[in-house]
Amino acid sequence: MGLKSFSRARAIHVMLVYTGGCNGCDIEIVNSILSPRFDAEQYNVFLTWNPREADVLVVTGPVTHLNRKPLEAIYEAIPNPKLVVAAGSCALMGGVYKNCYGDIPSEEIEGPVENIIPVDAKVPGCAVRPQDVLAGVVSLLPTLLDAD
Amino acid sequence: MDEKVPRSEIIETEIPLGTVHPAALEPYRVRLFVEDEIVQEAEITIGVNHRGVERIMEGLPVEKANALTEKICGICSNAHIWNSCRTAELGLGIEIPERAKFIRVIMGELERLHSHFLYLAHGCEVLSHETFSMRVFYMREIVMELLAMIGGNRVQYGCSVLGGVRPRCDLDEAKLLRLKNDMDALEEGLTGFVDRFMADSILLSRVTGIGVLPQNQAIELAVTGPTLRATGVARDLRTTMFEYDDFDFNVITQPDGDVKSNLVMRALESFESIKIIRQAIANIPEGKVVNRDWEMFDTDISESYIEVPRGTLYHSYALESGRVRHSIIRTPSMANIGAMQYACIGDQITDAQLCIVQCDPCFTCTDRAIEIIRR
Amino acid sequence: MLENTIINSVIAVIATVLVCFIISTFLPGIERKYIHARIQQRIGPKVVAPGIMAPIKFMFKENVEVSSPVPGLYKSLPIICFIVVLCIFLALTPEAYMIPALASLVAIVGFLKVEEICYVLMGALSKSVMSVNMPFPDQIKGAVHNNATRSFIEDISAKRSLRMITYGSFPLYLALFAPVTAARSVFLKDIVAFQQVNGPFLFTVAGGIAAIVFFIGYMIILNEYPFSIIKAKSDVIEGPYMEYAAKYRAVVVLTRGFFMFTLGAVFSVLFIGVPPTILSWGILVNVAVALIFVFMMGIFSAFSPVFTNRQLLPTILGATLLGILSIVLGLL
Repeated sequence: MGLKSFSRARAIHVMLVYTGGCNGCDIEIVNSILSPRFDAEQYNVFLTWNPREADVLVVTGPVTHLNRKPLEAIYEAIPNPKLVVAAGSCALMGGVYKNCYGDIPSEEIEGPVENIIPVDAKVPGCAVRPQDVLAGVVSLLPTLLDAD
Repeated sequence: MDEKVPRSEIIETEIPLGTVHPAALEPYRVRLFVEDEIVQEAEITIGVNHRGVERIMEGLPVEKANALTEKICGICSNAHIWNSCRTAELGLGIEIPERAKFIRVIMGELERLHSHFLYLAHGCEVLSHETFSMRVFYMREIVMELLAMIGGNRVQYGCSVLGGVRPRCDLDEAKLLRLKNDMDALEEGLTGFVDRFMADSILLSRVTGIGVLPQNQAIELAVTGPTLRATGVARDLRTTMFEYDDFDFNVITQPDGDVKSNLVMRALESFESIKIIRQAIANIPEGKVVNRDWEMFDTDISESYIEVPRGTLYHSYALESGRVRHSIIRTPSMANIGAMQYACIGDQITDAQLCIVQCDPCFTCTDRAIEIIRR
Repeated sequence: MLENTIINSVIAVIATVLVCFIISTFLPGIERKYIHARIQQRIGPKVVAPGIMAPIKFMFKENVEVSSPVPGLYKSLPIICFIVVLCIFLALTPEAYMIPALASLVAIVGFLKVEEICYVLMGALSKSVMSVNMPFPDQIKGAVHNNATRSFIEDISAKRSLRMITYGSFPLYLALFAPVTAARSVFLKDIVAFQQVNGPFLFTVAGGIAAIVFFIGYMIILNEYPFSIIKAKSDVIEGPYMEYAAKYRAVVVLTRGFFMFTLGAVFSVLFIGVPPTILSWGILVNVAVALIFVFMMGIFSAFSPVFTNRQLLPTILGATLLGILSIVLGLL
């Protein structure tokens, strides 16, 4: 393991973007990083709100129409190597909102997240459990460590 | 009560915050119009979260529609499914077993606890007081575990069904005992936290007199829920709900309408919730938890109001051959947006997010509201 | 003979800087793990994570184009900051005392001012995606004031830094000049010599008061929690540092750790009379002082919310009055 992988394994900055879910996943994820019960910092995962600092982008929600461009802008702002975790069933497949207007194509829901930015890990659940989010971020480690 | 600082006509700059912001936790945009770091005008843009839940509900079988309402909000999910079931029950005249009524109240109060704890934790986080935020999050975990124990999931529990509660949510002796013990632990933890908070003069100087919402303004803006009660109006829908007939609790009010009143309000209301849960555990009747003995027929539009952690929640729909028609949902944050915008005025930019947070916003709830224009 | 002395001193200075720099990279981690996380009843990150591993990680990230009107200047600012901190540290080493222009309090104050001005420039030049640049159609909404200029959140941060220059850093400078009243000289050489004869300035009444004022000034200039209005998370997120990515962010993180250590060294020179040098055991005093300061700062910041202008002004006013008191006492 080179210095690059070694250092990357010991400092992972995570940024969250909410794209219009029901708040359930959002709070569970913040909970998993903020509360002392789960304490992601013990695995050297830090929460940041600055895209320039982030390595991993956690996206929740089905990406509503108004959220599409902000999500793209934030994704663009993150320096490489960057990875995306889609958390929650809305982010994975649009959830219950996807077929909002039945067969009529919906302009409201742009998701799932895969349609907009490349997704590296998927965390299922409605709402996701904090343990699963941590597992999802950790499962990205090999990809992150080997990236350029 | 002091009057607000009059709005200045000079606007130096506009500062947009959002849609992704550490203090917001939800996607919304707020534009602050600022003169020398004092907010003169605030404008909250919602609609970012619009997903059209009411539209999806339209034409769904009522059981499915009830389950769907839970996905409106991840914080007060139980309140939505409860009120949605209540709407149909009122329309169809379904009798609910006594035991189911008690379990619904227990779930409702547990949810109030977790919502209020989230409020306190989020408030401390916006104050940048990480330590207190973590302490509250730690206590909140107790409630989350209880909710997971009863409903099987940490967030969307799906407790209420038409005619009562899901049989899985029935409370046996072991669960009741754990509930009772955890209530003791929770009360102890919350008492400790409130004592620490009220003794911290630095924190108090930071929250006293910030984001003041005067009582007449609150009434004018039709504010609901704890935000209204924090301005001194004792209006709590739980006093009129038949579910709460058997329970004895106080309606908490606070005089000032500032951030401190709101925080204290939430803490004191949590104690009341603990009290209600204790009464429910002590008096829970035996019997079945769900009444399957009812018939479906077409109803006129029926409506139901309940008190949820953030204020008054309104659901209404008609039933047509078992399917939902004309669904309208009105969430408390809808009414409170005006209060959020008003509370920001005259405070520092650093306090602006705090003033919004003090009204307990839940824009994911709010973002499917339909504006009714009467002509 | 003269050449030998110069070479020896240069080697000593380089060794001192290296050792102190390496120690300084641990300070953010110590603050995070052993103070904040312990108070918050959790395990916390590895000690090496925030201070050492994060900068190394940032070094290996791809450099992005900075969104700034003057990218060149904006990118050079953290390096200027680092050089300034290095200069302050060099001025403190006993080898520098033969250059009186460098090893004087006036020079140190000047360097600190440069550091503060860098914050203003950083804030003014950063145009992050998080506020105005966020692609969100909100201008078409019926705002009350449609013609107001739109500012970035970093602009507020720049204005606040300017305000901090005018009054915020007063306590620190007053505390720096308190030992001068005792030693009657602005040269570090004389201050150190005076304390070696008369005992540490810290243990006099004026010194004790000045030490408290110095600590408040230390937190203000490091933008640590109660005084972190320049980078308050509740509105300006990270303020001046918003746009730094990759290598430049690594420099920012390293500078912060080194700045913590350097200010600790300033204290030990001015108040205890122990200059940092690898050649004597006195360097342990420097390390201890730096650690004590970090511990105290961690405890204070874990138990206080961020101050707005409303609380900041009285606090700084009080600290300034204390500083003036200590100077008056020293003069008497």
